[in-house]
Amino acid sequence: MDTQELLQQALEIVKEWTIEVSQPEENRRDIYIDARDIKPAVKALLIDSHWGYLSAITGLDSPDYEIDEETKERKVDPQKGKLEVLYHFCNKAAIATLRVRLPYTDAEIDSICDMLPSASFYEREAMELIGVNFRNTPIADHLILPENWPAGVYPLRKAFKGLEKKTQG
Amino acid sequence: MENLAQEVMDKLKTWARVNSPWAIHFNSGSCNGCDIEILATFTPRYDVERFGIKLQGSPRHADVLVCTGPVTLQARDRLLRIYEQMPEPKFVVAVGSCGISGGVFQGCYNVVGDISEVIPVNVYIPGCPPRPEAIIHGIVELLKSLQK
Amino acid sequence: MEAKQKSEKFVVPIGPQHPALKEPGHFEFTVDGEIVTNATARLGFVHRGMEKGVEDRNWTQGLYLMERVCGICSHVHAMAYALGVEKLANIQAPPRAQAIRELVAELERIHSHLLWLGVAAHEGGFDTLFMFSWRDRETVMDLLETITGNRVNYSANVLGGVKIDINDAQKDALRRGMDFLEERTKHYLKVVTEDETFLGRTRKIGVMTYEEATLLGAIGPTGRASGVQRDVRVDSPYAGYPDFPVNIVTSVAGDLEARFVVRIKELYESYRLVREIVDHLPGGDLTVKVPRRIPEGEVISRVEAPRGELFYFMKSNGTDKPERIKVRTPSLCNWGSVLTTAIGHKLADMPMILAGIDPCFSCNDRMVMISGKKTETQVWDWEDLRQYGIEYYK
Repeated sequence: MDTQELLQQALEIVKEWTIEVSQPEENRRDIYIDARDIKPAVKALLIDSHWGYLSAITGLDSPDYEIDEETKERKVDPQKGKLEVLYHFCNKAAIATLRVRLPYTDAEIDSICDMLPSASFYEREAMELIGVNFRNTPIADHLILPENWPAGVYPLRKAFKGLEKKTQG
Repeated sequence: MENLAQEVMDKLKTWARVNSPWAIHFNSGSCNGCDIEILATFTPRYDVERFGIKLQGSPRHADVLVCTGPVTLQARDRLLRIYEQMPEPKFVVAVGSCGISGGVFQGCYNVVGDISEVIPVNVYIPGCPPRPEAIIHGIVELLKSLQK
Repeated sequence: MEAKQKSEKFVVPIGPQHPALKEPGHFEFTVDGEIVTNATARLGFVHRGMEKGVEDRNWTQGLYLMERVCGICSHVHAMAYALGVEKLANIQAPPRAQAIRELVAELERIHSHLLWLGVAAHEGGFDTLFMFSWRDRETVMDLLETITGNRVNYSANVLGGVKIDINDAQKDALRRGMDFLEERTKHYLKVVTEDETFLGRTRKIGVMTYEEATLLGAIGPTGRASGVQRDVRVDSPYAGYPDFPVNIVTSVAGDLEARFVVRIKELYESYRLVREIVDHLPGGDLTVKVPRRIPEGEVISRVEAPRGELFYFMKSNGTDKPERIKVRTPSLCNWGSVLTTAIGHKLADMPMILAGIDPCFSCNDRMVMISGKKTETQVWDWEDLRQYGIEYYK
C-alpha cells in the first residue's frame, strides 16, 4: 500500500469519532477527535487494526492573550486558553495524528497505558511540561523535572518565563 | 626537625599527586560530547594512563574532579556532595564551554551554567567539545601548577 | 503452606564515576532471589529545557542548540531540524548538499556503533574489545574532522544545505578509511558470534519477541534485532537516501547477540554507502537561500539516528522564532522495551541488557519505573553491578 492508501485506511478506521480532518503535509492527516473518544480511537487504530506504532505524543499550548489595560502588554489569559494533545502514529511514510483540544480549565484525558504500557513515558512528559492530566496513568511521578520543581508550574506553557529564584549555589 | 619532615612529606605528597593523580569524572548534564572525548583520552591513541592519571570510582580517593556539563538543577546537589566527599587538597577541572557559561544552554530554565557557581574551579578547558589533546593539556597545566 | 517470597530492592545509582556509561542516571531493580521483578530508572540529570529554550532563539540559533541535544548523534538532530525548517519554507536543499548530509550521517552512525560496541563490551568485562573498537573508531573521528573541522558536534548543516564540501583528497581518505574499518569489522563480527565467553552473556539473553517489539514500538537496531522492519531511511527516505538507498538489516533472534550482530552488519551498510556517495557525489551548489521568517505551519521531520527513529514536530508562527519544537528521541522508545526485557531476567544480566539498547541518557531523560514489594533496599553503584555480572558468569 502506498502512503495515500495507508492514510485512507487510517481515516476509515477512526471515522466514527472524527470531528474534522486536516492535511498539514502530503504524507500526514490530522484527525481531530473529542477527548472522550481517545481510548476507542487508539484501540481501533493500534490494537485492533495494528496500524503503525505510536511514535510520540506532543503537547501544544495555544493561549489566549489579553491586553493589560494599564501597561498595554500582552498577557496570557489563564482561563481562556487551550491545550492540544497530539498522538502521532507512523506507518511507513504515513503519519496519522489524533488531535485532542482541551481547555485550560478542563485539561484532562484518559490514559492509554492500559492498552499500551510504553505510552507511560510520553504521558508523564506531557503531564509535567504542559500540564495535561492523564487520568489513571500508572506512574505520575516526575520524569525529567527535578523533584522540588514547584507544583502547577508547566515550563512549556507560554506563560512560563523561567523560575523566579534561580539556584542558590 | 619537625619542619623538615613536614617539608619532605609535602614534597612526597605533591610528587605522588602530580605523578599519579586519581581523578573522578562527573557529568552535570552535558550532551555527552565532552565526556566521550574525556573517555577517548584513556584509549590507546592518547593513553593518559601512562602519565599516571587514573580514573576511578570513588570521590573519597580522588584528587581531581573532572566535571562536564552546564549543571542542571538535579545535578547540582549531587555535584556538591561529590565535591564535599573529596579529601583535601582537591582540584576541579571544568571541561567544555558549558561549564564556563552554560554554553549554548545559557538561559535555559533547568540549567545553572557556570560550574563555579556551585563549587570552586581551578582549571577551565573551553571547547565544544575540547579535543582530547586540549583536555590533556589542561590537566597537565593543573599538575604543573601543583608542583610550584 | 506458601513459601514467603523474599523480595529485595537494589538501588543502583549510576555514578558519573563510572567511566564507561558516562551519563548520570540512577537505576532501581527489585529482585526476587536472582530474578528481576521490576526495574526503574531515574534520569532527569540531563534535562536542560531545550524545547523551551529554542522558542527564545531564532531559527538559525535553534540549529546550534539542537545540535547539542546529544554529542554522539549531533548531526542527525541538526539534520532533522534543518529538513523540517526547509519543509516549512517549502524549499529543497540542493542534491550535493543532501548527499553530503547523508555521508556525514553514515559516518556518524559508524562512530556511534563503534562507540557503543566498546561500551557494551566494557559492561560485560571485555575490555580488550573496548580498547580495540575505540582505537579503530579514531579512524572515523579523523575522517569527520578532516571533512568538517571537528571530531564531535560537526556543524555540517546550515538551513538550506551544508557548509562543508568534499574534495578529491578527502574522497581518497574516506575510501581508505572505509577499507580499513571493513577489515577490522570482520574481526568484531567473529568475536561477537564465535567467542564462547561473549556468547555466554548474549545468546538467548534479554529476548524481546517480535510481538513485544511491535507493540511497545521498539525501533532502531533494538527493534530490528527482533525482526521489526522499521528504518526511517527505508520507510520514508530523506536527505540523500532516495538516491543512495540503504538495505535494512534485521535479525529474528531478538536476543542480545542479535542486537550486536545487527549493529555490526549496519556498519557494513554504512561503509558501502560512504563509498557510493564518494564515487557518485552530484555536482552543484551547497546551499539554497532560506528566509529569515519561516512561513506558518506544522511539520514532522523523522530521521534514522544510530539508535532509531528521531522524531521532530515543528510549528512555526510566521516569525523568525519557532513556536514549538518537540523532540522525541529514539532512546525514549527503547526504554520501554528494556522495561519488558529486564523482567524475568537475572540481575547479573542487567548491565548488558541496558547497554544492549544503546541508551542515550543525554538524548532523552526518561524514567523507567519498575515497582515491587520491598523488604530491604541495598545501594550498589554501577561498578558493583557490572562486576557482579562479570563474576556471575565466570
